[in-house]
Amino acid sequence: MLFFAVNVSAQQISTADLQVTGLTCSMCSNATQKSLETLNFISSVKPDLNKNTFILTFKKDANINLDLVRKKVQDAGFSVGGLTASFNFNQVKIDDKGQAVVDGNVYRFVNAKSKTLNGTVKASIVDKNFISGSAFKKQATTANSDAYASGTGIVNGKKTRIFHLVLS
Amino acid sequence: MALMIIGAYTNGFAQELYVFTEPASNMPTKSIGVRITNEGMFNNPGFVSRTIPEVMIGFNKNLMMHAQAFLSDMDGKYRLEGGSLYAKYRFLSLDEAHSHLRASAFGRVSTSKRPTYTRDINLEGDNSGIQGGLIFTQLLHKLALSTTLGYTHAFENSDRQIAGMPQPKNMLSYSLSSGYLVLPVVYKDYKQPNFNVYLELLGKTDPSSGQSYLDIAPAIQMILNSTTRIDLGYRFQATGNMANRYTKNMYLLRAEFNFFNVLK
Repeated sequence: MLFFAVNVSAQQISTADLQVTGLTCSMCSNATQKSLETLNFISSVKPDLNKNTFILTFKKDANINLDLVRKKVQDAGFSVGGLTASFNFNQVKIDDKGQAVVDGNVYRFVNAKSKTLNGTVKASIVDKNFISGSAFKKQATTANSDAYASGTGIVNGKKTRIFHLVLS
Repeated sequence: MALMIIGAYTNGFAQELYVFTEPASNMPTKSIGVRITNEGMFNNPGFVSRTIPEVMIGFNKNLMMHAQAFLSDMDGKYRLEGGSLYAKYRFLSLDEAHSHLRASAFGRVSTSKRPTYTRDINLEGDNSGIQGGLIFTQLLHKLALSTTLGYTHAFENSDRQIAGMPQPKNMLSYSLSSGYLVLPVVYKDYKQPNFNVYLELLGKTDPSSGQSYLDIAPAIQMILNSTTRIDLGYRFQATGNMANRYTKNMYLLRAEFNFFNVLK
């Protein structure tokens, strides 16, 4: 337990590419943009109206909640088709089961284990409602994590949100 | 229709902001929409028109509501003739990258001071009653199809009836709608106008008399500033045997203004 506490350091997601599905017009994109802009940890939302993507820039040292990003997209009436974030990792150790704990955030890497991450690392969230329903089902058959279906698991004796990541 | 389908496969994209019907999709959470609609009917005995102010509220991602008032000169001079409340609940969303299927249930309750001149039950102005139904909207690449199935029950209206007037009780309604984004071909920003075209088939059947009709309703739509919507549509009867319908030859002109995230 102490092992994690001494090894983690300031974790920060600087930006994220958000793919939104179901958008059919610029009014839909605008509604999604306005919904995302209500999050106080986002500093800017830059849309690509042709690709239905948004580039999110997060505030420095803000507490970033990716589940709220997903909720705001759903509130606007749409779904997240993909979210790839740029993490700034400082000597983050992924254990032999693919798990890393960074400032209390628990990540399970689908395609990495027993390795140290340092610097800017791009990774995609592959949890439920962060990818399409069919992609989630497909991922679930290969995901080697008991927490994948629910997105939560017991870490250090506490029920914790666990994000599943694929390193780009 | 063939032209529109060809158009859709060459340069268009699916669009589901239908003019004469509602899609299964909802408006954004905590948003308010305001509509003003003018309907002009060229039937019996001469031209009459109805104005419908409307407020729409998105409570959460699954539940939204409309409140409407109806004003018309259909019984003489212009007056407030009634109102309606409409609620829609989305219970299914299967979203993929280039397709989605959504399903919603809806209900409506309406009042109207009008006497009943036709068996065509219209809860948007002409009759008092309740309606319930289902909406399915399927977006498949460049084709967006939506179907609505509804059942309407009209309330008793004996105190305003004149001997010999029809007394419709129930009505089945069904529709099939398709829509396409024509412009822009390439987006630049939110300020760029969108231009959409629609073709809808609107039908009703009176189960007691067996009378029915099917209307064809083309419409065009402009979206300005990604917040304001202007609709212009016309419906005409393709086939049917229901007498004295008001909505048989009708234009619809509407402006809709959206205010996103205004509710706390």
